[in-house]
Amino acid sequence: MDILQALLNGFGVALEPLNLLLVVLGCLVGTLIGVLPGIGPISGVALLVPLTFALKMPPESALILLAGIYYGAMYGGSTTSILLNIPGETSSVVTAIDGNKLAKQGKAGPALAMAAWGSFIAGTLSVVGLMTLGPLLAQWAIRFGPAEYFALMVFGFSTLSALAGKNLFKALIATGFGLMLATVGQDPQSGISRYTFGFLQLEDGMDFLVVAIGLFAVSEVLMLLEEKTPGAVRAQVGRIYLSFKDFMGSLFTILRSSVLGFLIGVLPGAGASIASFVAYTTEKRLLGDRARFGEGDLRGVAAPESANNAAAGGAMIPLLTLGLPGSGTTAIMLGALMSLGVTPGPQMFQQHPDVVWGLIASMYVGNAVLLLLNLPLVGLFVRLLAVPAWFLIPAVLAISFIGVYAVNNNPFDLLLMAVFGLVGYLMRKLEFPLAPVLLGLVLGYLMEINLRRAMTISNGDVGYLFSSPIAVGLWVLAGLSLLAPVLVARFRKQGLGGDEEL
Amino acid sequence: MTDRIVGILILLLALGYGLEASRMQVGFLSDPLGPRPFPYIIAILVGLSALWLIFKPDPDPTWPAPRFWPVLGLVLLSLVAYAYLVVPLGFILTTTLEMTLLSVLFGARWWQGLGGALAFTLAVYFLFTEGLGVTLPVGRIFG
Repeated sequence: MDILQALLNGFGVALEPLNLLLVVLGCLVGTLIGVLPGIGPISGVALLVPLTFALKMPPESALILLAGIYYGAMYGGSTTSILLNIPGETSSVVTAIDGNKLAKQGKAGPALAMAAWGSFIAGTLSVVGLMTLGPLLAQWAIRFGPAEYFALMVFGFSTLSALAGKNLFKALIATGFGLMLATVGQDPQSGISRYTFGFLQLEDGMDFLVVAIGLFAVSEVLMLLEEKTPGAVRAQVGRIYLSFKDFMGSLFTILRSSVLGFLIGVLPGAGASIASFVAYTTEKRLLGDRARFGEGDLRGVAAPESANNAAAGGAMIPLLTLGLPGSGTTAIMLGALMSLGVTPGPQMFQQHPDVVWGLIASMYVGNAVLLLLNLPLVGLFVRLLAVPAWFLIPAVLAISFIGVYAVNNNPFDLLLMAVFGLVGYLMRKLEFPLAPVLLGLVLGYLMEINLRRAMTISNGDVGYLFSSPIAVGLWVLAGLSLLAPVLVARFRKQGLGGDEEL
Repeated sequence: MTDRIVGILILLLALGYGLEASRMQVGFLSDPLGPRPFPYIIAILVGLSALWLIFKPDPDPTWPAPRFWPVLGLVLLSLVAYAYLVVPLGFILTTTLEMTLLSVLFGARWWQGLGGALAFTLAVYFLFTEGLGVTLPVGRIFG
C-alpha cells in the first residue's frame, strides 16, 4: 500500500472524535506528568492502562492515548527544569544546565519557547522518520523466524542492560529478575505450573501492570517520603516569546539534535535520557567557541529538548515493527497492546493498519496540540506545583490502588504491589535500573516461546539458533553492545567535564 | 560491602530458582526443550552477574537516616493492611485512611490530611465507578 494513502487512512482514524479527544487528553496528562516531579512517564502510562481496559477502548485508541502521554511528558519535563532547576523527568536533566541559567538572567520566556519549538520540530521530524523507516523495517523483519526472534531479543536485552545503568552487571541482574518473573505461572507449552508456590492467583502469571505500578509508582512515593520534598514551590513565568533571530540561530542545532535523538531512540535501551545528553555534548563540541554552553545558551535548551522528543518517536519503531520495546514506557505499551489482542511485530503493518497509521497520524496531531497547549498555558501548568506534596503524592497512590485493583478485581494484586514497592525502593537505593525488570517480564514469555519453537523445528539442535546470517548478525551486535558502557562513560567524561553527576 | 551482601542474596536466589526448575515434573506431552532449560539460562545469567557483584562491589549507597526506617515499615505495613481490608471495609474508608496516614507523614496536620483524603477519595470513587464503569469494593460491612 502506498504510504500517503495509508497515512490518509490513518488521519481518518486519528481525527475520529473519540481519538481526537484522547490525543488532547493524552497530551494534557503527559504534560502534567512531565511538570510534576516524582511522577515519571512510566508510572503515568501504567496508571492509565487500566482505564483503557475499563472503557473497552479499541487498541488504536488506547495506543493513541498512551503515546500522547509518553511524548507529552517529554514536553512537560523541560518546564520545571528551566524555571526551578528541578527536572521533571530524567530526560530533562541536561536542559536544566542552560535553561535555569537563562531563567535566572530573566530569559525564562525565550527558553520555554525554545523548548516548545524544538520539541515540536523534532517531534514532527521523528514521525516522518517513523513513517518512512517503519514499513521498510517491517518488510525486512517479516521473514524473521523463531531463531531470529530469539537472537533479536537477546540483542534487545544486551543493549538495554549495557545502557540502562551505571553498572552492567546490576542491569543484567535486573533483566534476569524480570525474566524470572515472566516464568511465574503456567508453562505455555506443557501446561505445568512454575514458581507459583501454591498460590492460585499466580497461575496466570504476574500482571505487568501490578509489577510496573509497584516497582515505579509505589517506590517513587517511598523515595519522596525519604527525601521529604519541600512542599509547594512557586515560580514566575514571564511572557513566552522567541525572537526570529534566536530561532534561526538554533535551527541547525534543532535539526541535528532531532536526527541524533531519533537514531538513538531507535536503539533498544537508549532512550530519551541518553539522547538528550548525547545531543547536548555533541552540540557543545561542534559549536565550540561560537556558543556559551553552561552559561545560559538557548542552544543548550534546544539540543536536549529536540533530542528527547525525537527519541520518543524513534522508540516507536522497534516497538511497532519488531515488537521489541526499548524502554519501560514502551514495554507497558507493548503489554497493553497484547492484553488488547494486538501483538506488535512485522505483521502489524498489514494486519492492523488502523492501529499503526492511526497512531502515526495522531502523533502529527499531538505535536501540534502540544505546541498550542504549551505556549499559552505554561504559566497554568507551573501553578500546579503549588499543590502541596502532602496532597499530591498520596493522591497518586490512591490512583495506583484503583489501577492495580481494576486489573483482576483481586486484592491479592495489591499485596503484590506492596512487595514490588519495597523491591523497587531497594533497587533504587542500590542503583539497580528498574526498566529492565519490566522489559524482562513483558518479553520473557515471547523469548521463551521463540526459543522453544526454534528447538522444536531443529529437534533440539542448538546450532539452529546461529544458522541464518540475520541471526548471526544479531548475536554479534548483542556481543558488541556489551562494550557500549565503556563508550558511554567516555562520552560523559569528555562532554561535561569534571565529575558532574548525570 | 552492601553490594557483597546483596550479591550473596541474589546468588542464593539464582540457586534456589535453578533448583526449583530441576524439580519440575515434565509430562510426556512436552516439546523437545521442555519447561526447564529457559529458567536454567536465567539462573546462570543472574548467578554469574551476582558473583561479579561479590568480587567487584560498588561503593555503599547512602542509606536514609535511622528514623526513616520505622516510617518505611509503617507505610509498608499499612499497604499490606490495605490489601486485606479493602474488600471488607470498602474502597472509600480504607483509601481515606491510607491517604490520611501518608498526608500526615508528608507533613500535613491530621485534619488537613483527612479532609483532602476524604474529598479526593469520594471524587475518584464516583468518577471511576459511575463515570467509567470500574468496579471498586463497596465494603462487606455495609451489606
